[in-house]
Amino acid sequence: MGRVSLRRILLLLATALLVLGAAGCGGGDDGGGGGEGGTLVFAGAADPVVIDGALVSDGESIRVITQIFETLINLKPGTTELAPGLATEWEVSPDALTYTFTLREGVKFHDGTDFNAEAVCFNFDRWYNFTGPLQSPSASYYYSAFFGGFKNNESEDLSDPLYESCTAENPTTAVIKLTRPSASLLGALVQQAFSIASPKALEEFQADEGTLDEEVGFRPTGTFGTEHPIGTGPFEFVSWTREDRLVLKRFEDYWGEKAKLDELIIRPIADNAARLQALQADEIQGYDLVEPQDIQTIEGDENLKILDRPAFNVAYVGINQAKPPMDKLEVRQAVAHGLDRQAVVDNFYGGRGVVAEQMMPPEVEGYADSVTKWPHDPAKAKQLLQQAGLTLPVEIEFWYPSDVSRPYMPNPKNNFEAFAASLNKSGFKVVPKTAPWDPDYLGRVDEGNAGHLHLIGWTGDFADADNFIGTFFQDFNPQFGFRDQELFKLLDDAEVESDRQARIDLYKQANQRIMETLPAVPYAHTKPALAFRQDVEGFVPSPTTNELFSTVTIGEQ
Amino acid sequence: MLRFVVRRLLLLVPILLGLSILVFLWIRALPAGPAQSLLGERATPETIAQIEEQYGLDRPLHIQYWRYLKTVAQGDLGTTIRTRRPVTEEVKERFPATIELAMAALLFATLFGIPLGFVAAKRYGTWIDHSSLVASLIGISIPIFFLAILLKYVFAVQLGWLPTVGRISVLIDLEHPTNFYTLDALIALDFVAFWDVIKHLILPAIALGSIPLAVTARITRAAVLDVQNEDYVRTARAKGLPPRVVDIRHIFRNALLPISTIIGLQTGLLLSGAVLTETVFAFPGMGTWLVEAIRQRDYPVLQGGILFVSFVFVIVNLIVDISYALINPRIRVS
Amino acid sequence: MSVAQVEAREVQLEAPSGLWSDAWRRLKHNPAAIVGFALVGIFLSIAIFAPWIAPEDPRSGDLSRLGGACCPGPSADYWFGLDQQGRDVFSRIVYGARYSLLIGIVSVSVGLSVGLVFGSIAGYFGGWIDSIIMRMTDIMLSVPGLLLAIGIVAALGQGLWQIMVAVGVTQIPIFTRLLRGSILATREADYVLAARSVGVPRRLILSAHILPNSISPVIVQGTLALATAIIDVAALGFLGLGPQDPATPEWGTMLTDTTRYLQTAPHLALIPGVAIVISVLGFNLIGDGLREALDPRFRGRG
Repeated sequence: MGRVSLRRILLLLATALLVLGAAGCGGGDDGGGGGEGGTLVFAGAADPVVIDGALVSDGESIRVITQIFETLINLKPGTTELAPGLATEWEVSPDALTYTFTLREGVKFHDGTDFNAEAVCFNFDRWYNFTGPLQSPSASYYYSAFFGGFKNNESEDLSDPLYESCTAENPTTAVIKLTRPSASLLGALVQQAFSIASPKALEEFQADEGTLDEEVGFRPTGTFGTEHPIGTGPFEFVSWTREDRLVLKRFEDYWGEKAKLDELIIRPIADNAARLQALQADEIQGYDLVEPQDIQTIEGDENLKILDRPAFNVAYVGINQAKPPMDKLEVRQAVAHGLDRQAVVDNFYGGRGVVAEQMMPPEVEGYADSVTKWPHDPAKAKQLLQQAGLTLPVEIEFWYPSDVSRPYMPNPKNNFEAFAASLNKSGFKVVPKTAPWDPDYLGRVDEGNAGHLHLIGWTGDFADADNFIGTFFQDFNPQFGFRDQELFKLLDDAEVESDRQARIDLYKQANQRIMETLPAVPYAHTKPALAFRQDVEGFVPSPTTNELFSTVTIGEQ
Repeated sequence: MLRFVVRRLLLLVPILLGLSILVFLWIRALPAGPAQSLLGERATPETIAQIEEQYGLDRPLHIQYWRYLKTVAQGDLGTTIRTRRPVTEEVKERFPATIELAMAALLFATLFGIPLGFVAAKRYGTWIDHSSLVASLIGISIPIFFLAILLKYVFAVQLGWLPTVGRISVLIDLEHPTNFYTLDALIALDFVAFWDVIKHLILPAIALGSIPLAVTARITRAAVLDVQNEDYVRTARAKGLPPRVVDIRHIFRNALLPISTIIGLQTGLLLSGAVLTETVFAFPGMGTWLVEAIRQRDYPVLQGGILFVSFVFVIVNLIVDISYALINPRIRVS
Repeated sequence: MSVAQVEAREVQLEAPSGLWSDAWRRLKHNPAAIVGFALVGIFLSIAIFAPWIAPEDPRSGDLSRLGGACCPGPSADYWFGLDQQGRDVFSRIVYGARYSLLIGIVSVSVGLSVGLVFGSIAGYFGGWIDSIIMRMTDIMLSVPGLLLAIGIVAALGQGLWQIMVAVGVTQIPIFTRLLRGSILATREADYVLAARSVGVPRRLILSAHILPNSISPVIVQGTLALATAIIDVAALGFLGLGPQDPATPEWGTMLTDTTRYLQTAPHLALIPGVAIVISVLGFNLIGDGLREALDPRFRGRG
């Protein structure tokens, strides 16, 4: 090493700094003029799982799927009212067994193939014909929640299929036949699980290939959901670098009003503080899952704004009755008395939460007028446990997800710690267990492998009680591990009941039974907040948290 | 000289072999068992049978090891559980990030450490010297992850001068032929991107380089002090050479010896520290990769990652030793 | 470990025995070491007398004290503020000292005891036993410290004891080499040769002559290892690999998840971190002072 003079080093540094300084000043990004065009970067809290509506149930995947795929029926933006989607008209037969859909014309998939009745039936038949690992709840959660079973049920826990057949009478007419009447098919079809994908792409890219992990769930191995998700929506897929960004661009041949943005980039930023900082630094222009403690900061910043979604969710402590002693009613009652729900709602929701008394929000029809209440009462809880013949403290495994933030549960760890502390004072001994949200935690919960208690929640997909308590409790569900034939019957009857008032009554009864038998303990309904830069307009918050970005514009950069 | 190099190279073999044995045994010590660990606890009997066949898990241990060695030697480090990609592919994406960070940290440490140590030695005994010693001790006592949090708090949260997350701003679109973002930016002649990458490197580099900085400063000080009092220096001074010339020509050059070895010795620290720094700054390098792997029980990633990093570490140490011997003739003879 | 490291270490080991009083005198005059002793003294007292010093139970919180928002900072009532579960941070820091003390002692004990055994065997018997042991330490040292600890935690599972053992294991190679080098140096000393020529059994020579005289570098290294152990275990705790019960008042675990509160409640992150720095600094100052006090090279400069 020869003589390295200090002077030379300094000279080099100075030159380097000058160059960098000059470079930093010059150049800029492609600033669109106000209004049309431009790129919007939006941050979620986690990476999507897979871009295939039939195989996911997490909000991050659904957010992306909502931009790329479309359903037969839509919701009017910002509401839970039905509106035409890929179907312009529909007719229900008087016996509620046959649904005839008139399809929109001139719609193309992103790969250029035509959207028609054949494509619709291809999709419905695809789901109906799921076999093997695809039948597990961690794969086709929404499908089995609504339609029950498949063509060839491979598990006893799957009920008889609701779906019978789909016929493409002509390119613009699809007729769906059911095996039993259903009053909620139309509402259910707005869910992204029933979005229509390009049959050509589904086949070519092996959308149905995958393996089943006993503990963790379904893992797809084809490239449809990771590289070629082809739908009819206003945005088309460009690329996906996992854990980094997913890029969508405007689909120029969209049948409706084209997206205003040129490009939409969705980034997962797990760290909540980092999301906020990125927004403040204009590295992203919007993000979801605002932490309660940051709301004040954002509202106080003149460059940022908060948008509230209408409350349409429920956070709950799930109970797995397949794991003793949870099968004993007294024990579940003890849990309900042991949880200090008010304290959690008061402290961890930034003033935007209310204590939940039922497993669905009050706004949905079927909300019971009055149910059994479970005030926080540690002494009562201990009494109940002793009545059940158990020695205190009763050891239980309580699971919570790590590395995630959900609209109904901004900080699972906080909720968990508070609940565990209150349960520990109520005659229990909580064994904390945690796993990363995806794939482990979700898979475990879906398959019933998440201990005695677990924290989770649900955001409604459409304004129907069936979407809440029907999804949870209509059939045997490994997540909750119980068979309550009376409850199953109530929900089955309600689903097919065509008289509105009778239906509402049935759901009210169901809710009362739920809060008596306690398959789960609900604790919060919240108004999840989104944060945006001031110059982002046109975003319509939806109670279902499925929002389209096609109407969004960015002001002058 | 050649004999020395050859000897050191030969020593490399048992170490690398031993490393592979260590990792091999480690996989078998995992709570879920080797097959399940590598598959992600997939219970389908078919896939388990497949893996057992592939790894020969029913055969005696030494045959298993031989098979394992063969696959590793061919560059196959397994498939990740989380993303189902070859481990080597993810290493290719993640490793350059960590190297870039480590080099930035090293640059920071030497650029500031050497002058600091030098000045402290020159002002031996004064308050400057004492405070530099105390400062370097404090530097060693601050956990890297805490320093990272502090830097984040001061410069990003409070002052907003620097970004806190990632390697590059989302808005910037850059091709990544080398995955060294600085190089990629230069190759593309995109100076905006280049500056952006640098900005993302500054805080993590300072956090990661804090301990090397402290160590470098101390060693430089000690080395300069040693050399300073040597006879030949006093002779040079007595001869009337201007102090600056004495400094540079004699002191600095001879102090360079221990200094350069210390730089080599920091590698282990840098690789370890990178794990923590990357986590705080969500920097997508080997560190965050391994931490996520352990949280998600992605054992192929852990196995391949640790093997790879250790391999690199051993090689770097070898290079350091050889260059030390090149500079210091005494070693070759011993 | 590379040749350079070994050489650096060996220079330190040339101190003959019998310099204890000398070392103590120098230590007393070293202001940095005095500060170190003071800090460690405070740390130890806090750890030992925790139940009397802490006003509250570190594990139980009262959510009603939060007033609906996280989290009140330092105030007259709560010196270090409250955390997300309404727990008193001051009490948690105080009890955390106990955990850090426990961590330091357990980890260093693991490293020291195993390292002592292997190092003495390698140093005293030499030959192929020595080579094997040295190669094994080489291999262990070829995995960077934290990664080795992470690998061990993966095999053992997550939890407080596991990370203590993991960090302890990473320290084994260092102590092994230290002991070996120390023993090699004293083995050839005159008094040992004398004892051997007279026929004193090997075991006795080892325990009565060699080991006691090799102690000083071990003490220095032990103190520094204590400091490193506290930091490394805190690091593993920070990564979420430590105690699975988030209520545990361990300083590193207290730092997990606090980055999201930097804008609104920075004390949650800053205070446990400062606690770690101060305790570790104390041990580092003492260790450093000891090293200088025992090292003959610095004697000339006083």
